[in-house]
Amino acid sequence: MIVGFLLYPLAYEALLATPAAPFAEAFLPAITFMVVVLYMGLFAMSFDFVSGYTGYLSFGHAAFYGTGAYFVVLAANGQVPGVPEGTPFMITLLLGAALAGLLALVIGSVSFRLTGVYFAMITLGFAQVIYELIRSWGYVSTNPTEGATVSGDALAIGVPYVDALSLDVGRLTGESVENLLGLGIDLSATVVSYYALGIVVVVCYFAMQRILHSPFGRVMIAIRENEERARAVGYATYRFKLAAFAVSGFFGAIAGGIFAAYSRSVAPDGTFYFLVTADALITTIVGGFGTLAGPVYGTLFNQGLEDVLSTESGGIATLLREGLPESVLQADLFGVSLELFVNTAVDGRAPLYLGIVFVLFVLFVPNGILGTLRDRLGGTVGKRLPDHLRRYLR
Amino acid sequence: MTPGTLAAALPQFAPLLDPSALLATGGAVDGLQTAARVLAEGIGKGAVYFTIAVGLTLVFGLMGVLNFAHGAVAMVGAYLGGLVLVLVVGANTGTLATILVFFVALALVFAVTTAAGSAMEVALIRPIYDRTPTYQILLTFGVSLIIEELARIILTLRGIQPDPQWQAPMATAPDVLLGRTQLFGVGVRRLYLFEIAIGAVVAVAVWAFLTKTLYGLYIRAGSEDTEMVQALGIDVRQAFTVVFGVGTGLAAVGGVLLMWDPIWGPSVLLSIDVLLYAFVVVIIGGLGSFTGTLVAAGIVGVADSVTTWLFTTGIVTFPGLSEVTIFLLLVVMLIIRPQGLYGVEEVGGH
Repeated sequence: MIVGFLLYPLAYEALLATPAAPFAEAFLPAITFMVVVLYMGLFAMSFDFVSGYTGYLSFGHAAFYGTGAYFVVLAANGQVPGVPEGTPFMITLLLGAALAGLLALVIGSVSFRLTGVYFAMITLGFAQVIYELIRSWGYVSTNPTEGATVSGDALAIGVPYVDALSLDVGRLTGESVENLLGLGIDLSATVVSYYALGIVVVVCYFAMQRILHSPFGRVMIAIRENEERARAVGYATYRFKLAAFAVSGFFGAIAGGIFAAYSRSVAPDGTFYFLVTADALITTIVGGFGTLAGPVYGTLFNQGLEDVLSTESGGIATLLREGLPESVLQADLFGVSLELFVNTAVDGRAPLYLGIVFVLFVLFVPNGILGTLRDRLGGTVGKRLPDHLRRYLR
Repeated sequence: MTPGTLAAALPQFAPLLDPSALLATGGAVDGLQTAARVLAEGIGKGAVYFTIAVGLTLVFGLMGVLNFAHGAVAMVGAYLGGLVLVLVVGANTGTLATILVFFVALALVFAVTTAAGSAMEVALIRPIYDRTPTYQILLTFGVSLIIEELARIILTLRGIQPDPQWQAPMATAPDVLLGRTQLFGVGVRRLYLFEIAIGAVVAVAVWAFLTKTLYGLYIRAGSEDTEMVQALGIDVRQAFTVVFGVGTGLAAVGGVLLMWDPIWGPSVLLSIDVLLYAFVVVIIGGLGSFTGTLVAAGIVGVADSVTTWLFTTGIVTFPGLSEVTIFLLLVVMLIIRPQGLYGVEEVGGH
């Protein structure tokens, strides 16, 4: 999977040079969408970390994502007390994540006395309170409902204070590399950002995986499977849940932070709002609830669908409009021309098809893509796939 | 949408939205009158909240299903009701006839959405009762996504912009409802009185459904102990279908009620606003409790109107005050008394 992510931009660029370019443009996600896969994937992973492994549905997870994003932007503008302007991004990212972890401890200490639907609702309640506060907080910018923008230089991912080991990120402000290592490969600013963000995501993924494979992670799963029994065995489940929630909040904030660094602006609706959590929830179910890598596949699916259905990078609507003859496009369809139908029902309608796919997944594939694959193979894909392949190749 | 822009777009509502009309001008009598007016408006808002939330609590009480599609159905209800009114009501339709059409639309929308809700229960929710409740939340949430996007597509195809409010149905509101009426020396907006009346009718109807019909008996028994009811030979599955249908229908009735209210008005975004408010009301009241929903709707309505009054008079300059207060009420209630005002500890405790 990591190798796939590593090679994707190069393969995509190469494909665009071939005759298959229109189809590649229509059906393969563009790099800008792959960047979204990275930070939204990380956010969905952090959601899955607590919800998929302890079984507590955190409906207010956007609060942590937003905390990370806002902290980074405010720190970059020198608006956070105690954090001078010009502090390296990597340090503000960690500070923001730590703050979100603390916030998670506070919210969790109250919320974990409840279970099930009530837990989901109280976390949602906290997140909505924070969302409304942020929307009206004049300190952020003169128009807080619109959010804030980074006014200074590009933010860099890498080793703080070492210029040679840092990469500026951002779709327009990031660094671009020409003739990489003398191999004749040019990398655009977006591709460089993609790799820089990718490094952060991979590090976070392994950190979370390490925690889940430790005895601590075993207790989390024990809580999900049967909390009473876990308590009877002697674990202070409340503390374990709280710690898991804090860790999850920490990584959720990192996802928000790298999103803010890349997009250079934050808005309450794109960070703290209930629908941001819903996005993570949907992609987690599609990818596989309780499989750490699953949410990334779900996000990949989601973004792929959005890219195919949008016109921004030549999606399927463009392909139809340019590929179909004029007579077909003007054909009458219940009083509406086919062209108008394509424009309204196909272009940018990803939520509709995602909703349908999501309902089908809930009904028929409750374990998600990765979960089902693991059930079929009888173990993690990485461990089992070689055996299966060998059996078929023999 | 701020009151200011709305007033500019809809001149006939300007007197309703003028903050100076709410200003207390000093003096004990005036202060008392202002308090009474704010209270009356709070009860009006509470009636709307009750109508929106009562279907949600019925479904949860019996089935333990938290229906995330509730808001989307209310949105559809607002549009359908608006459609009927726009089609039937013309410029020279009398006031009484308009109100009559409103009730016909209400009944029609209720019938259609009840049937649709029952079908949805049979087709989608029935197969997953044996799974953890999380999956029912997820499923209904997916359904709400589909409904919203379909609504957007249809509205765009029909040339009605999806995001800003659809103002044609608002224009059909009869002039009688726009003014104020003197009640015990207090000027109360007639629209609120109208909403209180409908809310009361819905409350009585639901109460009668719960206490006087056989299905009501099943619901009350089922929310106490589903297994025992099943053991007594009652077809709980059929009751589920009926209740889910009625709950969906009530959501749509709430939507129709919102159609004339300048604070809400039909738009696709209504879906999520309604859903969140309905959640707050049912959780404060206690999930599954009819009395609780009634009381909580009153509390939330009054809190809403008091905080709105505080903001419009400039006593508090924080614009999000009303929303923050309402969600804080939810959080505080869950901290002090997780089961809500009238909730039973174990209902839906899964």
